[in-house]
Amino acid sequence: MRKKKFAALIVAVALFLPTIMFGGGSVDVDESAEVSIEFWHAMSGARIELIQGIVDKFMEENPNIKVDVQYTGSYNDTLNKVKSAYKAGNAPDIFHSYEIGTLGLINSGIISPIDEIAEKFKREIPWDDFFTPVQSYYKYDGKHYSMPFNSSTPLIYYNKTFFEKAGLDPENPPKTFGEIREAALALKAAGYETPVTWNLHSWYFEQMICLQDEPFVNDKNGRSGTLPTEVVFNGPAGQKVLEWWVGMEQEGLFLDVGPGWSNHRAAFGSGEAAIIMSSSSDVNVLTAALAEKGWEMGTGYIPRPEGSKGGVAIGGGSLWMTNNHTPEEELATLKLLTYISEDEAQIAWHKGTGYFPVRKTAMDQLKAEGWFVENPNYLTAFNQLLDSPETLNTAGSLLGIFPEVRDMVQSAIQEMYAGKPVKEGLDEVAAKANASIAEWNDVIQ
Amino acid sequence: MKNRLVKAAGLHGLLIICVLIISLPVILALIISTQSEAQVFSYPPGLIPGRNMVHNYVTAWNSVNLGRMIFNSTFIAFGVIFGKVSMSLLAAFAFTHFEFKGKNLLFGLILVTLLLPVPIRIVALFDVIRSMRWIDTYAGLIIPFWASATSIFILIQRFKVVPSELIDASKMDGCHPMQYFFRVLLPLTRSTIGALVVINFIYIWNQYLWPLMATNSDDMRVVQIGIKMLMSTESSNNWGVIMAGVIITMIPPLLVFIVMQESFMKGFALQSEK
Amino acid sequence: MPYVLLVPTFLVLIVFLFYPAIETFRLSFFKIHPWTGAEKFAGFYNFIKIFKNPDYMDSFILSAIFALAVIIAGLFFSLLVAILLNTKLKGMRFYRSFLIWPYALSPAIAGALFRFLFNPANGVLCYFTGTRTWLTSEKTAIIVVIIAAVWKNLGYNIIFYLTALRNVPGACLESASIDGAGPVKKFIYVTFAFLSPTTFFLFIMNTIYAYFASFGLIDVLTEGGPAGSTRILIYHLYKDFFVHSKIGYAAAESLVLFTLVVGVTMLQFRTTGKKVHYQ
Repeated sequence: MRKKKFAALIVAVALFLPTIMFGGGSVDVDESAEVSIEFWHAMSGARIELIQGIVDKFMEENPNIKVDVQYTGSYNDTLNKVKSAYKAGNAPDIFHSYEIGTLGLINSGIISPIDEIAEKFKREIPWDDFFTPVQSYYKYDGKHYSMPFNSSTPLIYYNKTFFEKAGLDPENPPKTFGEIREAALALKAAGYETPVTWNLHSWYFEQMICLQDEPFVNDKNGRSGTLPTEVVFNGPAGQKVLEWWVGMEQEGLFLDVGPGWSNHRAAFGSGEAAIIMSSSSDVNVLTAALAEKGWEMGTGYIPRPEGSKGGVAIGGGSLWMTNNHTPEEELATLKLLTYISEDEAQIAWHKGTGYFPVRKTAMDQLKAEGWFVENPNYLTAFNQLLDSPETLNTAGSLLGIFPEVRDMVQSAIQEMYAGKPVKEGLDEVAAKANASIAEWNDVIQ
Repeated sequence: MKNRLVKAAGLHGLLIICVLIISLPVILALIISTQSEAQVFSYPPGLIPGRNMVHNYVTAWNSVNLGRMIFNSTFIAFGVIFGKVSMSLLAAFAFTHFEFKGKNLLFGLILVTLLLPVPIRIVALFDVIRSMRWIDTYAGLIIPFWASATSIFILIQRFKVVPSELIDASKMDGCHPMQYFFRVLLPLTRSTIGALVVINFIYIWNQYLWPLMATNSDDMRVVQIGIKMLMSTESSNNWGVIMAGVIITMIPPLLVFIVMQESFMKGFALQSEK
Repeated sequence: MPYVLLVPTFLVLIVFLFYPAIETFRLSFFKIHPWTGAEKFAGFYNFIKIFKNPDYMDSFILSAIFALAVIIAGLFFSLLVAILLNTKLKGMRFYRSFLIWPYALSPAIAGALFRFLFNPANGVLCYFTGTRTWLTSEKTAIIVVIIAAVWKNLGYNIIFYLTALRNVPGACLESASIDGAGPVKKFIYVTFAFLSPTTFFLFIMNTIYAYFASFGLIDVLTEGGPAGSTRILIYHLYKDFFVHSKIGYAAAESLVLFTLVVGVTMLQFRTTGKKVHYQ
């Protein structure tokens, strides 16, 4: 009788022991259960296959997780689809958003910050391994909200062959506003009519304010934890940038190619422009374009006003998790996001697209492979990133109505090309922007 | 005799010039679709056809699975045409051959819908489709387009000019209105229906916003989404491939037009038939 | 009996057109959270904002000018082409197809083509016309948009004019000839009269095209720029709805736009509608 009771006790303990030992702390989830998740992204063209390749490898390593990955249009189209889907109750587990949508998403009520999910399942994401500007952009109020995915910075691209013809040192690209202008004058004298160009994009304006270590909006550049209430880009820092930029256009040194991403690349590739600014992800495309014509390409840090000590912030996009899913789905999503950020996937992503890999360890591996010996122009971009001091400004500015403000800034610059004084134009934009911010803040609370 | 030849030559000349001017953008698209990326990036712009034609067209077709999209768009287009034309025929018949209470009001209501294009109602429309569980289905892409003021209006104009003797004759024969509809009216309307087929095919073929919102999966995509997919935003545009895709997707509506041309040229009129 | 015939059409209209439209109009009286859809009643707040906004007034005038230009240029050129196509010539089928085919393109693709042709970096037409600033200058961008919009819709107008031309009763033309009228007079007094219902119809359809359907073209061609010089009302609305997510405000914009176009159309019916000559 006693033996039986004792046996029963042993059995009971044996059954409960694992739970006692391993159960406490993390959420109870059957990790081997079959689970299906959805991933919507905004990368078109050849990148669709690239992403599918990364996801396929993930699925090989995690046979119980099925990922349905879709290209859902532009960043904007994707966000609209997510909004509608969320209201319908079937938002994707992961979606892709541009960086300027960050504050909006933080306040949307539809996402789960990735650090919270990591905490929930007691998984650690090695944020220290990440490039500082890359992960600090998406960190707010002490936690990371989304997983950085496709990061880039602007870069100066110049035609070394033309530099030689104009008597400029091809190994020494201009670094300041003044130097760019002087180089442009020299190039013009050598017969290149309007040697400098870049697309009409507020991004460059933002970055060049960042280089002066100045904010774009108030409240600690939008990162204080409370919503920013006004823009500050119409101050002296912003004015300096546009007086130089618009000034060159008025002087006939800068070619206005309008907005969009094709025209300035075309101008560079055809030899009409000798110096351009574009995304760091364009290195291969532009090198090839120039090589076709027998020209050599160089890269440099983007220009700054003399004496400025700031750095650049990243642009691009990140991956967000929605908050209406089961724990099994959340864990699977977390695993996928972590996988995507690891070196193997990131190196493949970098090589295929030119975007930065998110971790410094990836850069070390690329260095070891000799990648930067073959691709010295990429090294410039990486170094520009590493040389950026970590401040609230290089973390990037957060604003709920960023897309709208970008439109306003771009429109204002066009008016300045047509003759409007810089300070007046900027003050007008600031007034409109502040009114819009007030509205947005009112609706979102 | 000579006069006629000169006149004819002159007309041919004029027409050819018109064709060239109007087709200029499309001819350029054709030329660019044969060029490589580097060729496109030249200034002065290169107008000589390149050698990348096969490569560009194959890339355009494969990279976004144009085949499936063309199938989808065609299927949806014909689904819409079938429903829309049938329903519009019935509605136009009601407005032209009957007197009834509220006729003007109902007609006004239909005209008003001309001013309610998709962008104005898309947000609420999405909610409706979602609650009917028609997201990602052909039904969601076809049925909302089944009512159309334009088609009804065009058919009304056509019906109006059918000589009244025909109606009187059929009444004398003791025909039921529906018999009249099928046996007399419909055959007379064949050419107008032809025109409606062309117009609606093109309309559905060129839809972007609604299919984008109403579908999520790969195999439900339509042709315009495919073209957008070829046109990247941040990454480099390979215009040669994009133009190849544009040319490919232009062919089906053009085919429909060419095939239906004769049929509807024969008297698609807002006035009487001779 | 007639009611039965109208049931299918009205069923679709009510579910998919009227209800969503009314719902959208209802939203214009609220401030709406861009993500959750939560509503805060706001009365006429959105409408007041619209009319106080100086950009909106500019957009208003621009849209009217744009519509007028599209209508006049569109009808004029398509009538000319239709007259050419109405002659008996070999290969007419070929000519017809190739004069109408731009109509088969989507507005977005038409926009992309023109953007490529006029782009300041290496646009073919910039090269041939000697100036690069077609799309980057506030004064000329709208001209490019008008050309693109008219070009794209030419086929539609030509189809209607051509068939109308073919149905001008030969008897009337003959009797005019007998009376001694030359080809020009014949055209003005006989043909044009018979074309009036078509012209009226196309007037309305082109108005709707200019006010509503052109936003896809503008989005790709100029994105409303430079400096808002091509930002017509529907494009403003499109951006506010789909990019800036100002749902309540955009809903109010659509109500205003809808009212405007209803007004314009009714005006057209009242004034020129009377001059239309039916048989």
